[in-house]
Amino acid sequence: MMEKRTIEDRLREEYFQLLPDIRRVAEHVETEVRFCLLPISGTLHKYERLVVSSRVKDCESALDSLRRRQEGATFDRDQATLYTLTSLNDLAGVRVLAFPRNRLTEVDRALRDRFPAWQADPVPGFDESDSPLAFKYHGYCQASAQVRGEFQIVSMLTGLFWQVEHSAIYKPDPRLRGVARSLVMQQRTREVLDTLRAFEEEFENLLRRDPFIIHSISDHSPE
Amino acid sequence: MGRVDRKEQILQQAGYAYSFDRMIYFNRKSKKAFSVEFVEDHSEEELQRSISEEAKGEHWHFYFNSPPSEGVKSELESVLG
Repeated sequence: MMEKRTIEDRLREEYFQLLPDIRRVAEHVETEVRFCLLPISGTLHKYERLVVSSRVKDCESALDSLRRRQEGATFDRDQATLYTLTSLNDLAGVRVLAFPRNRLTEVDRALRDRFPAWQADPVPGFDESDSPLAFKYHGYCQASAQVRGEFQIVSMLTGLFWQVEHSAIYKPDPRLRGVARSLVMQQRTREVLDTLRAFEEEFENLLRRDPFIIHSISDHSPE
Repeated sequence: MGRVDRKEQILQQAGYAYSFDRMIYFNRKSKKAFSVEFVEDHSEEELQRSISEEAKGEHWHFYFNSPPSEGVKSELESVLG
């Protein structure tokens, strides 16, 4: 007798049906973001960086991400039809890393004008009074009517920390994602991000206080 | 010590372990489980009160922001043992 298909089986099938659209959305959004940021990238000083990259969420990460959105990280087997991967905003994602931080607002403004209908969904800081850790938006583009795209604008050091954390810990086993939600890991993550922010802010302060540095750097720019 | 550290300490002292796969704090002896969302959204006092509540019956007691369905309860019970 054939075994009954699980929710995960059904979602895997859905993923591979959506995959061509997910790829198209990632490519489309990345191209639009790069084009939109050209006027800013052309004026960067030698020490400044703006890096745009895109990624397609892999199948198991997408399933795990959907499961983790349920309280108790458990699918309700009696409500199997409730779940669809199209409810995820980040199947196709673009990330813009900016250094130093003062470029973030400029990039955010330019992209908001380019994607006015997209929904803002910032990554909040740890306390209500903290500024967001990243600007984030999601919505539909011409590439697909069923898969949403997402772009994120984040300071370079924070973004690189997230990348290292992801590749070293969560990528090999998506189930480890839950480690980050434990209370004590949230506290440690906060300490790392606070330190990175302080480093970037100090760097900017030093540049502001010494106009000679800015001029000597500008002599060599743009890259 | 931060707020989250204190909540973690309260849970640890009461014998709760963290399941990173299900994102819940659970105690097999008292048959209680707290979702991360519940712990984050409730004060230390409320958490302490819920830990002290006497569990009734043989079944697990789940402290979630939205009460879990019977299906979710039964799956979690089978995982938690």
